[in-house]
Amino acid sequence: MKLTAILLLTACMHVSAGGFAQKITLSEKNISLAKVLKKISAQSNYLFFYDQDLLKKAQPIDIHVKDADLDEVLAICFSNQHLEYTITNKIIVIKSREEARDPAMPPPPAFQDIHGMVRDENGKPLAGASVKLKGSARGTSTDADGNFTLQAPDGGGTLVISYVGYRTLEVSASGTINVQLQLDESKIENAVVIGYGTQRKRDVTGSLSTVTAKDFQDAPVVRLDQALQGRSAGVQVTTSSGSPGGNVRIRIRGANSLTGDNSPLYVVDGFVGADFTTLNTDDIASIEILKDASATAIYGSRGANGVVIVTTKTGTKGKMAIDVTSKYYSADVIKRYPVMDAADFAQTVNARYAVLTPSSPPRFTDDQIAQFQKTGGTNWQNEIFRTAPGQEHQLTFSGGSDKTSFLVSANYLNQKGVIDNSDYTRYSLRTNLTSQLMKNLSFRLNFAGVRNENHNTSGTNGRGGSLGQALAWAPTTPVYDANGNYILHDPTSSIFQNPVALNNETDNRTNNTNMNLISGLRYQFIRDLTLDVQFGLNYNNTQGMGYAGPDITSNVPGASRSSNENVLWQSTSNLTYKHIFNHDHSLEITGVYETQKFSGTGFNVGVSNLTYPAQSYNNIALSASSNVGSGYSEWALLSMLGRVNYAYKDKYLVSASVRRDGSSKFQGSNKYSTFPSAAVGWRVSEEPFMQGQNIFHNLKLRASWGLTGNQGINPYGTLSAYVTDLDDAGSIFSPGPGSTIVSGIILGNPGNPDLKWETTEQKNAGIDMDFLGGMVSVSADYFVKNTRNLLLSEPIPGYLGGYSILSNIGRMDNKGWELSVNVNGFTSKDFTWSSSANVSFLRNKLVSLGAGKPFIEIDPFILQPGSPIGTFYGYRYLGTWKPHDAAEAATYGASPGDAHYYDKNGDGVINTDDFVQIGNSLPKTSLGWNNTFTYKNFSLNVFFEGLLGMDKLNYSYAFGMLGSTDAKEILFSDIKNRYIPGTNETSNIPAFSAYPGNSYTQSSRFVESAAFVRLKNLSAAYTFPRKTFHDIMSVKVFVSATNLITFTHYRGIDPESNSSAPEGNINGYEADTQQGVDQGAYPNSVMWTFGVNVHF
Amino acid sequence: MKKYLIICLLASLMGCSKHFLDENPKGQVVGSNAVSNINGLDAALTGAYKGYLRTWAQGFLTSAVQGFAMGGDDLTTIPGGNKADFREMDQFDVTANNDRISQIWNGCYKAIQGANNVIGNAAKVQGDQTQINEILGEAYYLRALGYYWLTRGFGNIPLVTDVANGVTPDELTMKPSPPTDVYKVIESDLLAADSLLPNTKRDPGRPNKGSAEALLADVYLTEGGWPVLDNSKYALAAQWSKKVIDNAATYGFGLADLNDLWSQQNPPDITKIGKEEVMAFQTNANYGGSNNAFAGASTTPPEEGGWEDYEAEINFFNNFPAGLRKDLTFHTVFTKADGTTVNWQNSTDGHPYYAKFRVPDNSLYFTNVPVYMMRYAHVLLIYAEAQARADGTPNADAYTALNGVHTRAGLTPLSGLSNDDFITAVVNERAWEFAAEGTTRWFDLQRLQMVEQANSAPNRSPLENAIIANPITKANYWFPVPLADANINPNL
Repeated sequence: MKLTAILLLTACMHVSAGGFAQKITLSEKNISLAKVLKKISAQSNYLFFYDQDLLKKAQPIDIHVKDADLDEVLAICFSNQHLEYTITNKIIVIKSREEARDPAMPPPPAFQDIHGMVRDENGKPLAGASVKLKGSARGTSTDADGNFTLQAPDGGGTLVISYVGYRTLEVSASGTINVQLQLDESKIENAVVIGYGTQRKRDVTGSLSTVTAKDFQDAPVVRLDQALQGRSAGVQVTTSSGSPGGNVRIRIRGANSLTGDNSPLYVVDGFVGADFTTLNTDDIASIEILKDASATAIYGSRGANGVVIVTTKTGTKGKMAIDVTSKYYSADVIKRYPVMDAADFAQTVNARYAVLTPSSPPRFTDDQIAQFQKTGGTNWQNEIFRTAPGQEHQLTFSGGSDKTSFLVSANYLNQKGVIDNSDYTRYSLRTNLTSQLMKNLSFRLNFAGVRNENHNTSGTNGRGGSLGQALAWAPTTPVYDANGNYILHDPTSSIFQNPVALNNETDNRTNNTNMNLISGLRYQFIRDLTLDVQFGLNYNNTQGMGYAGPDITSNVPGASRSSNENVLWQSTSNLTYKHIFNHDHSLEITGVYETQKFSGTGFNVGVSNLTYPAQSYNNIALSASSNVGSGYSEWALLSMLGRVNYAYKDKYLVSASVRRDGSSKFQGSNKYSTFPSAAVGWRVSEEPFMQGQNIFHNLKLRASWGLTGNQGINPYGTLSAYVTDLDDAGSIFSPGPGSTIVSGIILGNPGNPDLKWETTEQKNAGIDMDFLGGMVSVSADYFVKNTRNLLLSEPIPGYLGGYSILSNIGRMDNKGWELSVNVNGFTSKDFTWSSSANVSFLRNKLVSLGAGKPFIEIDPFILQPGSPIGTFYGYRYLGTWKPHDAAEAATYGASPGDAHYYDKNGDGVINTDDFVQIGNSLPKTSLGWNNTFTYKNFSLNVFFEGLLGMDKLNYSYAFGMLGSTDAKEILFSDIKNRYIPGTNETSNIPAFSAYPGNSYTQSSRFVESAAFVRLKNLSAAYTFPRKTFHDIMSVKVFVSATNLITFTHYRGIDPESNSSAPEGNINGYEADTQQGVDQGAYPNSVMWTFGVNVHF
Repeated sequence: MKKYLIICLLASLMGCSKHFLDENPKGQVVGSNAVSNINGLDAALTGAYKGYLRTWAQGFLTSAVQGFAMGGDDLTTIPGGNKADFREMDQFDVTANNDRISQIWNGCYKAIQGANNVIGNAAKVQGDQTQINEILGEAYYLRALGYYWLTRGFGNIPLVTDVANGVTPDELTMKPSPPTDVYKVIESDLLAADSLLPNTKRDPGRPNKGSAEALLADVYLTEGGWPVLDNSKYALAAQWSKKVIDNAATYGFGLADLNDLWSQQNPPDITKIGKEEVMAFQTNANYGGSNNAFAGASTTPPEEGGWEDYEAEINFFNNFPAGLRKDLTFHTVFTKADGTTVNWQNSTDGHPYYAKFRVPDNSLYFTNVPVYMMRYAHVLLIYAEAQARADGTPNADAYTALNGVHTRAGLTPLSGLSNDDFITAVVNERAWEFAAEGTTRWFDLQRLQMVEQANSAPNRSPLENAIIANPITKANYWFPVPLADANINPNL
């Protein structure tokens, strides 16, 4: 293992495609072996791994060759050395030759030919894997089809099979060998993708984590968020809408902005600012999550929220591989609210009005109740939920010649939602192509086209949506009347629309077509200096359609259409110099010049009172009125950045970067901002004093500091623009539905010419440890993020026209720590177990809202310095007034059984002056635990994921329990446990009474812990080996269950669901400040997946 | 070849043009050019109207109007549910974060901001002066209307008459102006509007000369009472209202048939009721931001699937003189979904509802019903009261004015009353005639200092929501400045 630790990578970071055909010309006399190897490396693009000390002992050589083959040249170099070499996929590893055999020893045993085949983790043949006979110099490597032949002693010996990036396997050398190698993420020499380059993992000084395709291959993930969820420390993914293709919130180390976007920056194959929903997860090779400032500052003004770098798969040289996967899904809602049946409900209603209006006759007669007892009434949740099928088909073929490789991937996905009439369809196509055009020039072209079709999946409809109404409509009300028409008005409870009609007469569609093209050229001037030039283009087209039918609009059906087209250009030129001086000083310098330009244009039209509702949004001319609008948006970013990575003796690591961003969004001197970062690393395990110990295979300490900006500022923020849309600025001057609206202009938000980027200063300290020879690796990080110049929508007083002005005035902090543990299991020939676990803790704190501003209320939330964002604000519920409190209760106009609230100011009146903080919606802890077991051809994946330490304001529950103005009666079974004077006087569910406080919703009565841990994935797979199918193909069948078990005390359907959109501006503040209200939000589902994968 | 290639690659490093980072605000209406011609000025005027007319967000298109006036003895709300914002006014316990109050505050000030923008920029606009005058006249009217509602609702208020030009620290800390200062601006604005506006309305939803004069008369009548208490204003009120009455034909004003006025049509027939509208805002149910949402569902009992926002106080209903007007004003028999009916006494809420703002399908909350700022009946009753107060005795014209409204209500004409009785009769007539419209009764109680009396036993039924203020004082006559603004400006 020591050898691996001191192996030195001598060549440039990227190995270009090249071949054995590479001809070498050398003419040297008495040259050191080290020098000649460097020259060979430069000419051939092969890399050499060797021990420095070993080479110092090598004999100098004379060599004179012209256009010679590599094999020939190497034979000359090593002919007189005590050294041997193996060639493994363009990497040449040099080792000391075994000592010459003692002639006194017995004669060598007889040898026989051993044949075998090596496959990668996906069962594809692995070309170039090293196969060696243990304890001997004998070795070979696999051919393009993964086959090898090696002479081994009769009846004994062990083969050591290895490949860079894979776990080395030892098998006994007998019979036909068929082995499969497993990826080894712990190998510290693995290269990881960092911004604008790659770095060996062991040299990394920043905080970043990697998720590879293998981590989620066993779970039926269809979108990037699902691949990330629970799999990386410091990354929080909350599925706020459980609908397929629904909304999700992804946060890296918390939210930094109150008004700007808190989403990470996505970089796909070097394209900055990609849309993660346009990626097919089957195309992802690896995901790098950059977390600390030393990693993200290279993205400057867009790095504050962390960066997710996605690298897509590429083809590999060799025989064409074809991969076909089909999956079939079946989903059900994870839980339902317990509601009363019609008879129970009717009796409860009667009991309630016996208290509220004792003089009136009962609402339901005994005959009606008897009838309900027979029929059971309507279970509205059954009427809107369904078992939802789905299917997905994936086809990949890849391959390549010596100079060119390609990968083509096509995917079709269709998932129905568990709420009726909602579904999601995706078509995607990707072509990745790389080619070595000339000896020093390579070319690449990635094209990806995706179409997403979302149908009724927005899922944040709140109280008025079908789920909200299913919890409001009385079970005594049928869905349809005697003529089979919808019952339009619930005579008993809800004042809103029939839930089934809402499902069936709502038709909202968003069809998004995205095309991404990346084309790059890489030119190597000399071995150490490379220029990479890349152009990228992203085209996005979104067509929106909306329709609400007559039965859900009081017979005034409406429709809408919208069209948006966005184009984003990028040009990146990257010059990298990488050199090792005097063996000990490793230096890499990167300089980048990048420009981006975005332009977006769109229009929309909404119409009301359609003449022919059947035409819905397809013929909106036939309507009573229309509201049209159009818009344009444009921004440009011009950036220069540089980075220096330096390592001394592989022990002391230093990294520094600076990026200067110029943005069109700002004025004057604020146009340009500079974002520096610095980091140091110390590989303690390389120190001499650590050489004697056997505990740490690797021990590295890291520390970093840097500044980053927030990308979430819209263009034109510095300008004062008029509001022009018809709803907000147009007026009616003639009476009646026939009148036309007159367009007008209203003074909007005043622009602030002094706007600048929010700046996040982040400090990070981390430690990386590998134990047990690399079998267990542990990483821990502590970070502190201080965001200053926090953008705040400062409200403008109504008397000056209202709205708000964006200013850089506040401060917010996030700090936390992260721990991840990887166990690369117990590997034997038949059984392997690998496990990775991560946990992260996050504390958010608002520090300042600007001078003299103690708090900002955004019902039901409060922004208050000293407290985190997402803090609920309302009445503190103290339970019900009990009989012995009668006298005190009376001072509040209440009686025993009525709601008892904390009277903050003690004025004897419960009103909004008594509001206090009653909970927080930000998860404080997130965790994930992924386990993969394989036994022979079986594999089992068990993946737990959880979020802890957050509350939810459960308005769904509130409205089912209050019997207030919009849902007039109480539906939930819990009401049977209410306070009943004389019968049940311990309950904290208020009694039936006219006391207004009983129906307050903005109260801790409805704040619940939403902490949960769930079995996110449980899947089992069986692979039929190739030999089953005469070596034509391998077949894998699998079954998996998603969200099978959720451990939570949350009373709602799903502790993850959220009624506000996860992104964007709500009431002038970013959605993060207002998360955690559940009101008819689209819940997650338990999903079963059955699939088959065929690999040719 | 190689060199050529390197040059190509290096060329890509070259920068873009120096204008690469210039911001191009295509599609944005920015700067003073937006109001530099007649079309732009008119667009800004339309925007000024919008302050009063943005459904749900601000202004007079929702039951915030009834909420604002709920201290009157004509209006109340249900004791439970999500009606706390209304209840606070009904119980005289108004908190600064009351949303309905701030809808009116913000709406009026948004309209004032828009009007300031028109008034401040009109002089720079070249073009047809008649058109410019018309636009300017409407802007003055709108600004006066806004300040009139604001000072009656909140008393001392910030007085802003300049064109918005960013937000200055002075403005953020400005001190409120007392009503006397606010009324000076209102009076001068209405005199300006009177001189600029034409006799004929541009559209039914805009003011004409007569609208400005009628509002001025109303302002003078109010100034005669609390808090200005300037008796000399009554004569001015009488003089200006008389001017409107004398020119009613010119201005197109008159009394409509009460059946047409409260026809429950959606909208009512403008050809029949247009003359009644001295000033009304028009609405259109087809536009989400421009419909009238205080009619329809808002004023409908739970038996009929309504929202129960506002309903009639019991004693107000009981004391309301029987006749055509009472029948048209109240909704007393509720029809349940199963077709059975229930009287208001036995209903869930135990209160009569208002029929005035009902529409054929009362489950609708988006209606085309106009919002009356002032009806011609109002002008008549201003005159009747002002003349009697100014001269110490009602003259024949005052009786004609009062009886015009009184007899239309299906009641017998009044005569031979003492001055005090005559004035009382007018004030009562105003309460009944404009019941629940939000424009009159609460403000009458306020200017005549009758709030305490009207909201105490025996006038207020014990079945109403309990009064929280103990006792009601002049402090309860005005609402607190909305919290959002008070939080920003410590001087408010």
